Amino acid sequence: MKHRLGLGLWLLAVVTATLLHAPAWLGLGVAAVLLFSGSGRLALLLRVLRLVFPILLLISAGYLLMGWLSTSLAWEYLALLNLRVLLLALLTAWTARDVDLDRALRGFPAAQRWLSIVRSQVVVFRRLATEYRAAVQSRSTVPPSLAQRYRAGAVLGLAALDKAMYNSEALTQGMRSRGALDD
Amino acid sequence: MHIPDGLISPQTYLPALALAVPLWVIAGRRLHASLGDAMLPRLAVFTALAFLLSTLMLPLPGGTSGHAVGVGLLALVFGPWIAFMAYTLVLLLQAVVVGAGGITALPVNALAMGFVGAWVTVGLYRSLRGLGDAVAVTIAVWLAVMVSALLLALVLGLQPWVAAAPDGTPRFFPFGPRITIPALLIPHAFIGAGEAALTLLVFRHARKRRWLEAPG
Repeated sequence: MKHRLGLGLWLLAVVTATLLHAPAWLGLGVAAVLLFSGSGRLALLLRVLRLVFPILLLISAGYLLMGWLSTSLAWEYLALLNLRVLLLALLTAWTARDVDLDRALRGFPAAQRWLSIVRSQVVVFRRLATEYRAAVQSRSTVPPSLAQRYRAGAVLGLAALDKAMYNSEALTQGMRSRGALDD
Repeated sequence: MHIPDGLISPQTYLPALALAVPLWVIAGRRLHASLGDAMLPRLAVFTALAFLLSTLMLPLPGGTSGHAVGVGLLALVFGPWIAFMAYTLVLLLQAVVVGAGGITALPVNALAMGFVGAWVTVGLYRSLRGLGDAVAVTIAVWLAVMVSALLLALVLGLQPWVAAAPDGTPRFFPFGPRITIPALLIPHAFIGAGEAALTLLVFRHARKRRWLEAPG
């Protein structure tokens, strides 16, 4: 219940954040998220900044350049844009950290099932990619060229695909035999 | 390629949501009707692959990079409706798990990349199949990436007009289509080429393994 409520509140908050156009309110929103997000707030902020900083830097620098060329610069708009994107990203990161999607989706078995199968495949792919990359690096003392990286990527992709398909078929058969796919 | 939260206005994402919901319902019904024990694991694997393709950076000449989309592959293997549904899940996972893209931008991203991207891929592939698989897949996927990028560039570029303050100051994305179209299309011409090559590689592998579910 708590997780479903959290998901609902997040949806409400992101829509509200796009309806507010005063930087002061958005700034208050950022402060509120940082205040209420608990002891991991600094890690949350750093994670979000890593994600949104390049986008905000690009857009803000472009806007500043255009404003400087046309001599019409709205500082309030810059604050509005940066605070809105930061607030929305913080809200999403906070939800991703504290809301358990599996629990939030309880009552929607098809969505839950789908999510768990896809998630498990993502984990398999990531592990295979890490292992393969480590294997490529361990065999060579010099960094691979672009062509070598593409070739290695192609081999990795197809090997990972076969492995993931095998795992997924086994997982589906396991779920079927336990009655998880009966409805 | 996809738009993050905070750059598009409610005047854009709410109509997009109204358009996307019935399409998701149709796609969901088709998915439910065709989902069997053989298809479920395949779809899960290809959805996960599309998710990873869109998080892995593709190195481009000159030191830049971009990410692939993966919807063309889903469309060629499962057909456009199921690809649309699966890609929506990819976007949702990206928004919620990775923090890339966003929930308010989801309908726009899903329509531009998932729906239009999938239909353009399948439509062009079917029209061009006479030229051979390699040519048809390459052109279909490249053009689908370009059309999706163009749509997203237009959506972004219209924001200064769609949602501006009474004094004309933008409230969301500040640049018009004269900037957004080249800014998105030029890099995506390279990304699309990389994606077409990747799709062809995996599509051939999928055909060899008899994983293709899309009719014709």
